[in-house]
Amino acid sequence: MKMPFSVVMAWREARASWHRFVFFFVCIAIGVGAVVGVGLFAANVEDAIFHDARSLLGGDLEVTSRRLLSDSARQVLDSLEAREMIVSRVSELAAMAAIDDSHNESSDMSLATQLVELKAVEDSYPLYGAIETLPNLPLSSLLSNQGSECESISCFGAIVQQSLLISLGLEIGGRMKIGEAVLTVTGTIEKEPDRVASAFSLGPRVIVSREGLLATDLLQPGSRIRERYRIRVSSEQSLTPLMGEIRGRLTKEGVGVVTFRDAQPRVRRFLDQLSTYLGLIGLTALFVGGIGVASTIQGYISQKMTSIAILKTVGADTGVIIRIYLFQSFLMGGIGSLFGGGLGVAFQYLMPLLLEGIVPFPIEFDISASPVVKGLLVGMLSTVVFTLWPLLTIRHVPPALVFRRDVDRAHAQMEEDSVFLQAQKMVIRFFHDRVRLMTGVLMSASLTGLAMWQAQSVTLGLFFMAAFFVSLLLLVLASKFLLRVLTLFPRPNTFTVRNAIGNLRRPGNYTTGMMVAIGLGVMVIVSIALIKTSLLEALGERMPSKAPSFFFIDIQPDQHDAFEHLLQQWTDKGTYQITPVVRSRLTAIDGKRIDPEAHKGKRNGWYYTREYVLTALADLPKDNMIAKGEWWEDAGLDQSSPLSSSPEQPTPLSIEAEAAKNLKLNLGSVLEFDIQGVPSYAKVVSTRTVDWGSFSTNFFMILLPGALDEAPMTYISTARVPKSNEIPLQQALVKTIPNVTAINVGDVLDNIANLLQQLAWAIQGMALLCIVNGTIVMTAALSTTRYRRLYESAILKALGGSRRMITQSLAIEFGLLGTLAGIIGIALASVLSWAVLHFFLDVEWSFQIETLAGACLLTILLTLIVGFLSSYRLLAHPPLAVLREQ
Amino acid sequence: MIAVDHLGMQLQAGSHRVTILDDVTFQIPQKQIVAIVGPSGSGKSTLLGLLAGLDRPTHGSITIHGTDITALSESEMVSHRRQHIGYVFQSFHLIPTLTALENVALPLELNGDPGAMGRAKELLQAVELDDRQQHYPVQLSGGEQQRVAVARAFSTKPPVLFADEPTGNLDSATGELVIHLLFRLNQDHGSTMVLVTHDTALANRTQRVISLRDGRIHTDSMTES
Repeated sequence: MKMPFSVVMAWREARASWHRFVFFFVCIAIGVGAVVGVGLFAANVEDAIFHDARSLLGGDLEVTSRRLLSDSARQVLDSLEAREMIVSRVSELAAMAAIDDSHNESSDMSLATQLVELKAVEDSYPLYGAIETLPNLPLSSLLSNQGSECESISCFGAIVQQSLLISLGLEIGGRMKIGEAVLTVTGTIEKEPDRVASAFSLGPRVIVSREGLLATDLLQPGSRIRERYRIRVSSEQSLTPLMGEIRGRLTKEGVGVVTFRDAQPRVRRFLDQLSTYLGLIGLTALFVGGIGVASTIQGYISQKMTSIAILKTVGADTGVIIRIYLFQSFLMGGIGSLFGGGLGVAFQYLMPLLLEGIVPFPIEFDISASPVVKGLLVGMLSTVVFTLWPLLTIRHVPPALVFRRDVDRAHAQMEEDSVFLQAQKMVIRFFHDRVRLMTGVLMSASLTGLAMWQAQSVTLGLFFMAAFFVSLLLLVLASKFLLRVLTLFPRPNTFTVRNAIGNLRRPGNYTTGMMVAIGLGVMVIVSIALIKTSLLEALGERMPSKAPSFFFIDIQPDQHDAFEHLLQQWTDKGTYQITPVVRSRLTAIDGKRIDPEAHKGKRNGWYYTREYVLTALADLPKDNMIAKGEWWEDAGLDQSSPLSSSPEQPTPLSIEAEAAKNLKLNLGSVLEFDIQGVPSYAKVVSTRTVDWGSFSTNFFMILLPGALDEAPMTYISTARVPKSNEIPLQQALVKTIPNVTAINVGDVLDNIANLLQQLAWAIQGMALLCIVNGTIVMTAALSTTRYRRLYESAILKALGGSRRMITQSLAIEFGLLGTLAGIIGIALASVLSWAVLHFFLDVEWSFQIETLAGACLLTILLTLIVGFLSSYRLLAHPPLAVLREQ
Repeated sequence: MIAVDHLGMQLQAGSHRVTILDDVTFQIPQKQIVAIVGPSGSGKSTLLGLLAGLDRPTHGSITIHGTDITALSESEMVSHRRQHIGYVFQSFHLIPTLTALENVALPLELNGDPGAMGRAKELLQAVELDDRQQHYPVQLSGGEQQRVAVARAFSTKPPVLFADEPTGNLDSATGELVIHLLFRLNQDHGSTMVLVTHDTALANRTQRVISLRDGRIHTDSMTES
């Protein structure tokens, strides 16, 4: 087969000038590497979720409930077993673990306690996947009663996460106390197939048998528990009808039923979004590289003017020549993309480093074809798009150039015009040049298409491109403006400064391109830093100094006094609060039944599906304000009515204003709650605004005092515990009321802050590639002017300029370049981060002088380093050799 | 036949216009070998470039084999050049990234000639460079480069050949060899040939000498050869 002429020529050209394309393909390779890296990560997450969906859920189907199921519900589930399904029950709850000191009478509560996530399993666990333990023994033997070792007391086995052993100072074989039970640690959990950790995980995992859980005596009415019934069905059984059947038969229980296909919607959404944002930052890196591609091609074409003119004289038409260089770029882009694919694969080994702790389950880092292919396509496409524009110059190369190098008349004229007139001429020329106009449209459309493809969303793709174009425009305008500002100063007397500024301002020096490329990278990375710091500050600042340091949950009514006694002993007076609560589900509004399924997945649908914690309070909590209606005494309400079981005489209720709005409630609306199977009724008499960031116990629903007296209530409590009393209080609690769970607010906030740090770290890691590509663009731009610089430095040297003087001039030039790029980058980052914080996160933007100044200084340092690395060879050239070549 | 009618060319240099050619009119019958001579800046190279269709005149017309090339569109001009014109430059203008063979084959390939390489080899043989086929321009001496350029100019057997100071960058011995080859190939192909030269001896080897001064025809005379 005969290759088309333009392909053959492209190959011949590439063969001789590939080294001029080094930066071209590094730019593409890094961009594609970022896109492929993120793509592979997303595919691996997808794989983990879909292939391991059953083991992540723990079954084909899962029924979850926030309370113990009623007997009738148990019967429904038991009946499934008769239909050849396996039902495996898992109970999860937070609990306090402490070292068992019962055998040591002399110890005086000097041992550590630790909040743990307790999980009780049955022999059938896990239905899918495998649990890995150390030692590698059957789960049933690890969790069984270790009677022989425990002498007289019952002592079940428990396996724990390694971190618990460290925090309690335990070893395998050691004993700990959870609730009333003494448990022997028989092993550590190496892999738990159905654990989807979250940032809000309260502590290390402890797995016990159901008997072990019963021995703890933690299952009290109203306890915070998560009951999970996992069901494994035969492969012929179709899940959807079964899910419908179970939902129907358990309607009154308020349970959630999901199949493995749609389990973990939040985790999925989170990871989807993470991949999307990382992917878009990867794409930004590629687009920054695109600037490098465009400037490399522009430089290359300007060096190829004579060859192009020769081609024209021997009869090649413009189309053929553009095709030659397009194919050549395509070839280079292809090689760059292939390298990028390899780089993306290599990034997979860095991903665990960046994403440790963010992805809540283990991920196998496999290499799948489709993200690699996608990355290659994205790379090739962007190559073509970014190459096309500079290639259009070829149309204007006159064949007469071979014998007459006349000055480009139009260009010379342009130089004399004002900026405004220049812009006007450019716009007019752009709109008159139909080919350029079409190419511009095509480029924008292609880039937008790429962004949509990468974001997997039309809206997000459009939004990204709009943001990208606006940023680009601002960067270009700002860099032009700053370069203009430089001329406002009186012409410096020092030659080195004058030369440096002259170099920055001279046409064909790509200064704007370099500033835009570096500024863009700085903008992305600094924005993330600013947003992260503002969020962390907000997190810290929002915690008032008088905020409680501990939350206590699951205090049983008969433990109220003992608990209060403990608080009195270990906290200052008036710094704790004990509040009665009852867990409930909202089942009807004004007699209209709520179908939770109808609201699942909808925006703010969780107002209908969530569990409501009801409380009864005499006083309006501080940080609450009445929005509509009146508080009890103002409304003249009797303060001792029990929770009503009749819709005719509902108990007065105050509801949080946002919830009222989302549930479409008005004053007088009657709500029906299901409290452990018993229907209860309440009427809205007021709505309140609540400051949720106040770190005190706040409620959506507050009932008239006395309303909970006959309900299955527990107490929760908040307390400000002096630092020195934290450990003694927890130990006393474990000893006297072991079922009460103490949650350290500081620990939870630390977890959130850690996650935030890690997320920022991951995103910044990706954004670093934008900067890397920015510096490559700079190197590429400097290399295109290398020969001119070489020539000029030779003249300077020949005229007696010292190497030191040339070095100084270069340092000033690169330093100025870095300063300008840094200023533009941090200014735009400030605007961008302010917009994100203000419009999306509702957090105040703070002026972080250290971050901004640091970023600017680092940018200057970076441009200096890159500049010198790209130019140091100029300094070493002997002037005569250079001048002779000219 | 080449007919040049009231040809003029002006260029903008800074703020004023410079007249390069002014009211030039002449005809060249088929197969004639013509030298254009004149001092530097007289407009010789510009005239040659206009004849070859490498640039457009400000006014006047150029008709080659019945086609007014000044009226051709850009793409028609390209195709005209490809089919009818060969050009030898003073500074050779080979494409540095192509080998000698590829440079010679280039116009043939542009014409889609499947036998491009074979014909290019023959031409390199004719200019006595068959041992230099795979060399790049930088690996060739000036004379060798110009011989490659001559071979390239004849590759498509153009009816008209233009040569702009073909020996201007060569020493006299090498220049002599190049001229010898140029005339020999021209004889073989029977092309019309227009040379621009400073070299009186070379001019005297042609059939006709048109002399330019300040952009106008100063003399136009037949030589004795």
